[in-house]
Amino acid sequence: MIREIRNALTRRAVLMGGVVMAMGVAGLTQVQAQEPTRLVIGTTADVVNFNPLVGNSRSDTWVTNLMYPRLMQMTAQGSKDPYVATEWGYSEDGLSAWLEIRDDLTWSDGTAFTADDIVFTITAVTTEKIGVTAGLIPAFVSATAASPTRVEFVLSRPDSTFLTNIGFWMPIVPKHAFPEVGQVATFANNTDFVSAGPFILTSVEPGQRYLLEAVDNYPLVEAGRANIDEVEFRVFPDVNAQALALRAGDLDVIANSLPAPIARTLQGQPNITVAQAPSLGWSHMLYNLQREPLSKVEVRRALAHAVDYEAIRAIAMQGLAESTNSSVISPVLSYWADPEAQEYAFDPELSKQLLTDAGYTDADGDGFFDNLSLSLLYEQSAADIANWAQIVKDSSAQAGIRIELVGLERNTYLARAREQKDFDIYAGNWAVMEEPAAYLGLAFRTGAFINYASVSDPQLEAYIDEAQSATTPEAARVPVQAAAKLIQDQVYDNVLYYQTFQFAYNSERWENFVMQPSDLLSLVNPLSLASVTPKN
Amino acid sequence: MHLTGYFLQRLLRGLVTFWFAVTVTFFLVRLLPGDPVSAVASPSMTEEIRQRQLEVYGLDRPLLAQYFAYLGQLVQGNLGISFLSSQPVSKILLERLPWTLLLTGTALIVTVLLGIPLGVLAATRARGWVDQIVQVSGVIGQSLFVPSIGIFLLYTLGLLAGWFPIGGAVKSDLTGFARIASIAHHLVLPCLTLVMAQLASYVLTLRATLIEALGEEYCDLARAKGTPENKVIWKHALRNALLPTTTLIGLQIGFLVGGAVLTETIYAYPGVGRAIFEAVGQLDFPVLQGAFVLLAATVVLANLATDLAYGLLDPRVRAG
Amino acid sequence: MSASNMTPADAPAAGGLLAPADLTPGRRTWRAFSRNPLGMISAAIILLMVAVAIAAPLLAKFPSGYGRDILMPPSGAHPFGTDDLGRDVLAQVIWGTRISMIIAFASSLLAILIGVALGVLAAYARKLDGIVSTLVDVSLALPVLPLMILVAALIGPSVTTLVMVIALFSWPEVTRIVRSQALSVTRLPYVDAARTIGGSHFWIMTRHILPAVAPIIVVSVVLTASRAVLSEAGLSFLGLGDPESWSWGKILFNAQRSGALTVAWWCTLFPSLAILLLVVSATLVSIAYNDARNPKTRET
Repeated sequence: MIREIRNALTRRAVLMGGVVMAMGVAGLTQVQAQEPTRLVIGTTADVVNFNPLVGNSRSDTWVTNLMYPRLMQMTAQGSKDPYVATEWGYSEDGLSAWLEIRDDLTWSDGTAFTADDIVFTITAVTTEKIGVTAGLIPAFVSATAASPTRVEFVLSRPDSTFLTNIGFWMPIVPKHAFPEVGQVATFANNTDFVSAGPFILTSVEPGQRYLLEAVDNYPLVEAGRANIDEVEFRVFPDVNAQALALRAGDLDVIANSLPAPIARTLQGQPNITVAQAPSLGWSHMLYNLQREPLSKVEVRRALAHAVDYEAIRAIAMQGLAESTNSSVISPVLSYWADPEAQEYAFDPELSKQLLTDAGYTDADGDGFFDNLSLSLLYEQSAADIANWAQIVKDSSAQAGIRIELVGLERNTYLARAREQKDFDIYAGNWAVMEEPAAYLGLAFRTGAFINYASVSDPQLEAYIDEAQSATTPEAARVPVQAAAKLIQDQVYDNVLYYQTFQFAYNSERWENFVMQPSDLLSLVNPLSLASVTPKN
Repeated sequence: MHLTGYFLQRLLRGLVTFWFAVTVTFFLVRLLPGDPVSAVASPSMTEEIRQRQLEVYGLDRPLLAQYFAYLGQLVQGNLGISFLSSQPVSKILLERLPWTLLLTGTALIVTVLLGIPLGVLAATRARGWVDQIVQVSGVIGQSLFVPSIGIFLLYTLGLLAGWFPIGGAVKSDLTGFARIASIAHHLVLPCLTLVMAQLASYVLTLRATLIEALGEEYCDLARAKGTPENKVIWKHALRNALLPTTTLIGLQIGFLVGGAVLTETIYAYPGVGRAIFEAVGQLDFPVLQGAFVLLAATVVLANLATDLAYGLLDPRVRAG
Repeated sequence: MSASNMTPADAPAAGGLLAPADLTPGRRTWRAFSRNPLGMISAAIILLMVAVAIAAPLLAKFPSGYGRDILMPPSGAHPFGTDDLGRDVLAQVIWGTRISMIIAFASSLLAILIGVALGVLAAYARKLDGIVSTLVDVSLALPVLPLMILVAALIGPSVTTLVMVIALFSWPEVTRIVRSQALSVTRLPYVDAARTIGGSHFWIMTRHILPAVAPIIVVSVVLTASRAVLSEAGLSFLGLGDPESWSWGKILFNAQRSGALTVAWWCTLFPSLAILLLVVSATLVSIAYNDARNPKTRET
């Protein structure tokens, strides 16, 4: 009996094991008909929107960037280089602008890429008020195609940031493949792709993978075409599993920036290289000026001196963050940054002094100032911010300031920050802030789009006006730096750091990636993917 | 009771269960604190879509009218619009459902295939050390936290040993047998994780019912007739012991389908469970609700299938 | 079986020296249980964990703030290593014991209360039985975790939410078990006798039926609590846990979010072991208890 049972059990076990092994072997030796070179890229989120003007998640941008070109290239210092656009400029009075584009670009269906597409795109964006781009170009009036390679714009007032804004922030969509102006924002664009980039989407498996094939005519790289045949984005919701896949060779490169522990482990692997790129944005706290007592600059200053900036960068960010010297102009933007800027000192005693001078007392002796309790709003799933929010709370406690952490899911967080302005302190990130004259307007003009703190300062507005209507960068720099100084002095924005992103790829198999700044571009920007070559 | 009558009764129960799931979802969302509008439309939607949703679900009408509007939509297969992607929830989830069915179905079959011999083993050597080992390992398996065991398996068997791919459902561009083989290859680890969690209760129940059955008179009779013990177990006792476990399978399907949420996330398996995980972080309520309703429907159908199997197996039912 | 309900008021209190037949059922169960090594060890482990949970403030400082030693492996200063904010993992596990156990026991007690009430009622009052049974079957058939996720996401994360949500989805199982046990009692003659005498329903239910299902309740509490630990860990892992308190699931959530899951094995291993230990012990205790009180499986 025992033997028979054992045999039954063993037989079953062997059978199962055999089946599993057979399948394993069969899976390993899979059919490889031709040998197209393929780069497999890992991403953590699905692509939800294929319309490049609407989709704003990372994955959306990485994929659509490969099909819908931007006119200019972003440099490491945040300025713009020629790319599809070859030259550009403004008229003397600043009320009109022009740009010239290459004449050798075509869409994948053979139609030429012309100035008409640009006119179409900008008209759609401004008429339908699509996305952030619309908010960046308030001075736009109209555009015309003076020739297949020249676009001329009419502006309502001088704006030195207009061309570089649309140069980077507005991907160009094909007029002949998109619906008329008025229906562009709702266009799903999820089939029949037409691409003017180095690749075109050929297969979409939602939740799993996105396959793109190289397009034959891509004159923006020397070879005239991408060096590889195919690019595949694979979705991994868990970054830990994603890193394992890279190590195992299932992935060639990971598009999203990696948390420090993972990056550190990957650095030790012989076949993996970890590359760094600075962020073009920053992480910060905003104090709601519409609320007591934050409307008082002394209180804001006290708060600014009660933050242990160094601990935030060393611990919460594990050293992968740099100070901006409390300036809204990141040192990465080397042309604009003010070398004199200095970070707020972490000085709890000074904070206490400022608060006492402002009339606060600690009558009940509990170590905290009475009637001073502030809520700090942040997005719970953002691990970095969740971590330093904790540090802010603890270091502020040293200055007797009570802070209550409010961690919310993304939509609620955005709604409360953006629409309701329902917070005392807001903690967040801007991803790319590369053009000071432009973003200062976006963030600090009265009632502006991302002016969550409700800043309204006439002097500041004057500086921004001056910067935006300047016709040369030199003329713009003075008011830009003056504005930044004012913002720092009045604590309209407390910038904590700009991040250093880490990206990993399999360097045993691949070389010639072109790293660009910010995690929006990183290793998977069009130039990089068109240039990468397999090692033999 | 005749087989048809039995099946009809089960069908009715299934419908009631599904109706219950649907109703619970409806009332949960509208009675819990917070704006019920936030359950079907999000601030990130375009105004046009938002208005349409409000109309379709009649959120300005009385609760009962809303309920019928909701049922009406459900009958038409409309599960709402995802906040995140503005796509119909039914489209998103139906694309993913086959993978979840594959994963949980396979896990169920493997559980039964492994559970029967283990249950027999434990029952026949009851209270001996083999029994203790089976019980303890079963209990341990059942107590493991799915994400932990998932990552552990990925790390050891996937990365270190290199035997299995890291996540995903299938290797791309394969067709025919190679594709099937690849799917199976990717299925092993997630399936293993789920089986480990479910096996114990199946084995322990089978063990208990088998011990009972082996002590019954008809087994004594068979032994008295000279039937070898092996046959007594496999031919007589097991057949009766399996019946209660068939109903257990029905219960387990519910657990299995829910447990898939964590498994699919760790293994990047593109099923409904993973869609739930992704929707949770964004509070994409239509997807969460739709997923629950869809999974409830799946469980109800699966239970119907096992009830049918039970009906066919149990002579008492057939005889009427 | 019915003999186990009749507790002779004048049973001798002396224990082990008497022959088994002279012991009270309670003592008989205890004796059988104490002879089961697995059961005893598991019970000891559970008691140890309860002690840790109660004594948490004495054992470790509440993990908060931040430290300089980020993601350090276990060492003398930090026996369980540190996490991505430099906080001591041992302290997290100790305080996590407290919250995980509170949630587990609170939700299971709540579930027991509801479950026992409904189970006894259903067994006793024939008319209610139909509704309650259908309700239980239907609830049991549903995929529970997705619904828990939906509810927790709607209400917002907190300890109370988790307790309510887990209790809400655990009571059907309890009801089912209690009802079937209670049914075996309600059909007994002495219950009918009690009714004829004129005892009120409430009196009958509490004096006679409740003691009969008491052993089942004990088993249920332990099993439901152990499942609650897993449910809580799952919900916390998905980010639906209470952000202000520490639980084992939250430690794992932090590890996943910060990328430490595979890299810093101590962040993953210790909370997972804690969960495993508690759930295994609870299950083994209830199995041992079940075996001990059932004369058929008892070794004496």
